[in-house]
Amino acid sequence: MAKVTLENVVKTYGPVTAVGDVSFTVQDGEFVALVGPSGCGKTTTLNLIAGLIPISGGNIRIGDKLVNDLDPKDRDIAMVFQNYALYPNKTVAKNLAFPLQMRRLPKDEIARKVAEAARVLDITHLLERKPRELSGGQQQRVALGRALVRDPRAFLMDEPLSNLDAKLRVQMRTELKRFHQDLKATIIYVTHDQLEAVTMADKMAVMNGGTLQQYDSPKNVFDHPVNTFVASFVGSPAMSLVPLRRVVEGDAVALAGDGWQMPLSPANARKALSAKSDTVILGARHSTIALHDGPREGAVPGRVYTVEPTGDVTFVQVHVDGAIVIASLAPDVAVRSDTNVWLGFDQSRMHLFDCETQMALT
Amino acid sequence: MAVSSGPVTGSLRRDDGLLRRIVTHRADYAYVLPALVVMMVVIAYPIWFTVDMSFYKTPASLQLRDRTFVGWKNYHTILTAPAFWSVTLNTLIWTVASTFFAFLLGLGAALSLHREFAGRAVLRAILLIPYVISAVAASYLWKWLYHSDFGVIGALSVQWGFTDKPINFLDNIHTALPSLIVVNIWREFSFAMIMLMAGLQTVPEQLLRAAQVDGANAWQRFWHVTAPHLKGVSMVTVLLLMVANFNSFIVPWLMTGGGPAGASDIWITHIYQIAFGRQNWGLASAYSVILFIVMMCLGYFYVQALTRGDKGRPE
Amino acid sequence: MSGRVDGWRWAGRVFLVLILLFTAVPMVWMLLTSIKSQFAAMQYPPQWWPKEPTLENYTKLLDPTNPVGNDFLRYMWNSFYVSLATTVLGVAVAVPAAYAFSRFRFPGRTFLFFAVLLRNMFPAVVFLMPLFILMRWLGLVGTHGSLILTYLTFGLPLSIWLLKGFYDNIPIQLEQAARIDGATRFQAFLLIVMPLSVPGILATSIFSFIGAWNEYVYAATFLNRQDQLTLPVGIQRFFAEFATDWPGLMAATFLMSVPVVVLFLILQRYFVRALTEGAVKS
Repeated sequence: MAKVTLENVVKTYGPVTAVGDVSFTVQDGEFVALVGPSGCGKTTTLNLIAGLIPISGGNIRIGDKLVNDLDPKDRDIAMVFQNYALYPNKTVAKNLAFPLQMRRLPKDEIARKVAEAARVLDITHLLERKPRELSGGQQQRVALGRALVRDPRAFLMDEPLSNLDAKLRVQMRTELKRFHQDLKATIIYVTHDQLEAVTMADKMAVMNGGTLQQYDSPKNVFDHPVNTFVASFVGSPAMSLVPLRRVVEGDAVALAGDGWQMPLSPANARKALSAKSDTVILGARHSTIALHDGPREGAVPGRVYTVEPTGDVTFVQVHVDGAIVIASLAPDVAVRSDTNVWLGFDQSRMHLFDCETQMALT
Repeated sequence: MAVSSGPVTGSLRRDDGLLRRIVTHRADYAYVLPALVVMMVVIAYPIWFTVDMSFYKTPASLQLRDRTFVGWKNYHTILTAPAFWSVTLNTLIWTVASTFFAFLLGLGAALSLHREFAGRAVLRAILLIPYVISAVAASYLWKWLYHSDFGVIGALSVQWGFTDKPINFLDNIHTALPSLIVVNIWREFSFAMIMLMAGLQTVPEQLLRAAQVDGANAWQRFWHVTAPHLKGVSMVTVLLLMVANFNSFIVPWLMTGGGPAGASDIWITHIYQIAFGRQNWGLASAYSVILFIVMMCLGYFYVQALTRGDKGRPE
Repeated sequence: MSGRVDGWRWAGRVFLVLILLFTAVPMVWMLLTSIKSQFAAMQYPPQWWPKEPTLENYTKLLDPTNPVGNDFLRYMWNSFYVSLATTVLGVAVAVPAAYAFSRFRFPGRTFLFFAVLLRNMFPAVVFLMPLFILMRWLGLVGTHGSLILTYLTFGLPLSIWLLKGFYDNIPIQLEQAARIDGATRFQAFLLIVMPLSVPGILATSIFSFIGAWNEYVYAATFLNRQDQLTLPVGIQRFFAEFATDWPGLMAATFLMSVPVVVLFLILQRYFVRALTEGAVKS
C-alpha cells in the first residue's frame, strides 16, 4: 500500500472547471471518503487519480511516483465502480482472474489468488456464474474481489454501496470497514452519503462546486465545520442554521430575532464581533438544543411546525424567526404541532458563521 | 458539472478552441479517418460534380473535356417543359399517397399487434417479408399479378363482377400510377409498423392504467395517452417514408418504365431517362440539383423531428 | 365497458386478417405459379390450384449443366460474393469508427449524423453518373470492385450510426475497469467491448448484406459482362429473352428472395432493433 498525494489538481472542460485546485494527502493505510452533493467533482477527482481522464493541471503522486501522465494500467491501483462494472460475458472466476491475466501471472498463481479472494469474500460457490445471475450484494462482492485479488497500491471506490438496498448497505459498510482494518489498505472512497463517510472513514474530504471545502477527521468535520456548506452537509438531521442580527451594547453582545434577544457567552461574543457584517448565522445541532414549554433565561421563542417520532428519539421542527430549527426530544415527551416552545441553545456547542463569507467564526 | 469560481492555479493545459481540440484528439481520428475519407469521396464528390455538370452541355460519350458551359440554360429548359409539371404532379401523388396509406396500414397493424397473443411473432415476421425482399423481386411478382391476360387480380375482378374483362392495369393511363402505389404500400407498410410498434413500447403502462382509472375509454386512451407518445416516432417514420418514396426508382422503372405516355413517370425515372436514355447529362444534372434542394427541405424537417426526439440522449 | 373493449379487439383481429391476406396472397401466388408449367400458368381463367404441380422450374434453375441453371447459379454466386465482401469490409471499417463516435468527444460527431442523413436523402440514380465517371477513372467499371466500393461507402454511414447506438449502450465503466485492471485502451476494446458488441455487429451485418443483395441500380450500370451480373440484374436480362416464362421468373424471384428472408427470420430481433435504433427513445 502507498500514500496518495494530490497537489493543486485541476480539471477543466473548455471553460468549465470541474475540479479546481484540490490538494490533500491520503496517508498509507488511511481510509479517506470524498463526499459532496452530486456534481461536486468528487467522482471526477477519483477518475483523475485513477488516470481515466487526463489531468489539466497540478500533480498526483501515488507513493513517491508522479503519475500525471501514466495510463491507468501503470498506476497499480484497483477500483470498484458504482454499477460494479463486472464483465457481463465472463464468469465470476474469469472476472476475478482478468486483472491477473493482464499482468501475465502464471496460471497456477492466478488460480490460487482467485480461490483465495473468493474464500475471503465468501463467493466460492458463485465462481462459475455469470454476473447477471447474481444479486446486487453478490455482484458487489465480486467487484470487491476483483479489486483485492491483486495487491494494488491503493483502492479507489466510486459509490460502491449506493445500488444496494438499505439493509444490505449497512451490512456491507461494516464489512468494508473490517476489510480496511485487516488489510491496512489505502482507500479513497467516493460517496454522496455523509453517513457512510462519517462511519467508515479515517478522514473525509468534503467537496462542493469542484473545490475542497474541508479535509479532516469525521469528528473534527462534525464538531468544527469550516463553513455553512459543511455544517449543513455533514450530520443527520442537518445542522439548523438561523440568520440573526448582532446587537452590541457596551461589552454585552447578543443575537436578536423578532422581539427577542439571546445574550452570548464571552467566547461566542468575541466570535460574533469578528463577523464582517451585522448578520450572523447561528448553527446548532439537534442534540445541543433544549426544548422548554415556557420562557427561560436566554431561551428563544418558536412555534412547533411538525413532530417526527423515529422510535428512539423524536425530532421537533420549530419555526424560529422564519427559519426551521430541529431539536430532539426523548420519545416519551409529548409535544403538539402549533404550540409555542422556547429553545435553549448550548453556548459551548453552538456555531457561528459569517453571513457574507459563510465561513465559521473563530 | 458544477462550475467553480474559485481560483485556479497550477500548470493549466486548457483545451479550448476548435483547432486545439482537434490537435488534442488527433489520435481519435485514426479510428474514423478511413470512414471519413471514403464517405467524402463517394458522397461529397458526386454532389459537387452534379452541381458543376448542371451548368454544362456534355456529349453523350460523357467525355468531360468536350463539354460546353451553358449557364442556367438547363434549369430554364426544365422549368419551361410541360413534362416537368406532370412529372412533378405524379411524384407528389406517388409520394403522398404511398406514405399516407403505408403509415395508416402500419399504424393499424402496430396497434393490433401490440397486445401479446399466440403467433404474434410469426405474424409480424410474415408482414415484414415484403419489406425485406428486393424491390426487383416485388416488381416482377406484382407485374405477374397485374398481367393483362393471365394476371390473378384481373381474373378475380371479373370473377367477382367488378369488371367485364381483365383490366390492363399497367398499360392504362388511369390505373398505372395507382397500381404502382399499391405495390409500394405492400412493400413499405411493415416498416411503419415496426417503427410504431417500437414507439408503442415507450408508452408507459402506468399512464394507460391511470387514464383507465380516470374513466377514459379505449379511444380516449389512444388519443390522449398513446398518440402523444407516438408523435415523435410518427414524424420520423413519415419523413423516412416520404424520402424513400420520393427516391424510389426500381418499382416504377421495372413495372412501367414511367409509362404509359408518362402516366407513371416520377422525377427519378424521368431523370434516369434523360441521363441514360437521351444521354443529356447536363440536363439530368440540373434535374438532380433541383431534387437535392427538395430533399434538403425534407431533410431539414427530418433533423427537426429527430433532434426533438433526441433530447433525452446524453451528449 | 368490456363489450366496447372487445369491439376494439375484434376490429384489430379483422384488420390483422385483412392485412395478412394483403401481404401473403401475392407471395402465395408467386409460389403457386412457380410450380406450374408454362402452359398451365398462361390460362384464362387461371388455374387457382396447380393441376399438375412440377418442380421443373426449380430444377432447371439449380442445375449447373443446363445453360439456364449455369447462368442463374453464377448470378447467385456473384450476388453472394459481392454482398459478403461488402459486409465484411463494411463492418471492418465501421467498427472502429462507430466506437470512436460513441466514446471520444472530438469535433465532428454531428458530421456522422448528417452523413447518414445525406445518404438517406439522395437517390442512387442521381449519383450514378458521377460515380460512373469516378469508377471509370479508377479503372473499376466492369468489375465487382466497383459495386463493393459503392455499396460499402453508401452503407457505411448507416452502419456506423447503428453500431454507435450499440456501443452507447455498453457502459463505459467496463472499459475503465479493464484499463484499471491492467489493459491498454486497445485491449479494453478488443477483450471487453468487442465480445459484447456481437449483437450489434450482427444487426449491422444483416442490414449491409440485405442491402447489397437487393441492390439493382448500380449493378445495372457498372457491370457489362454477362458472367459478372448479380441476381437482380441477371434475372432481368435473362428473362427479357424469354419474356413469357412467368413460372420460371417466379421461381427465380423466389430463389432470389430465399437467402434474405432466411437471414431475416434467423436474426429478426437484431434486424428490428437496427431498424428502429435512433428513431425511438425508450
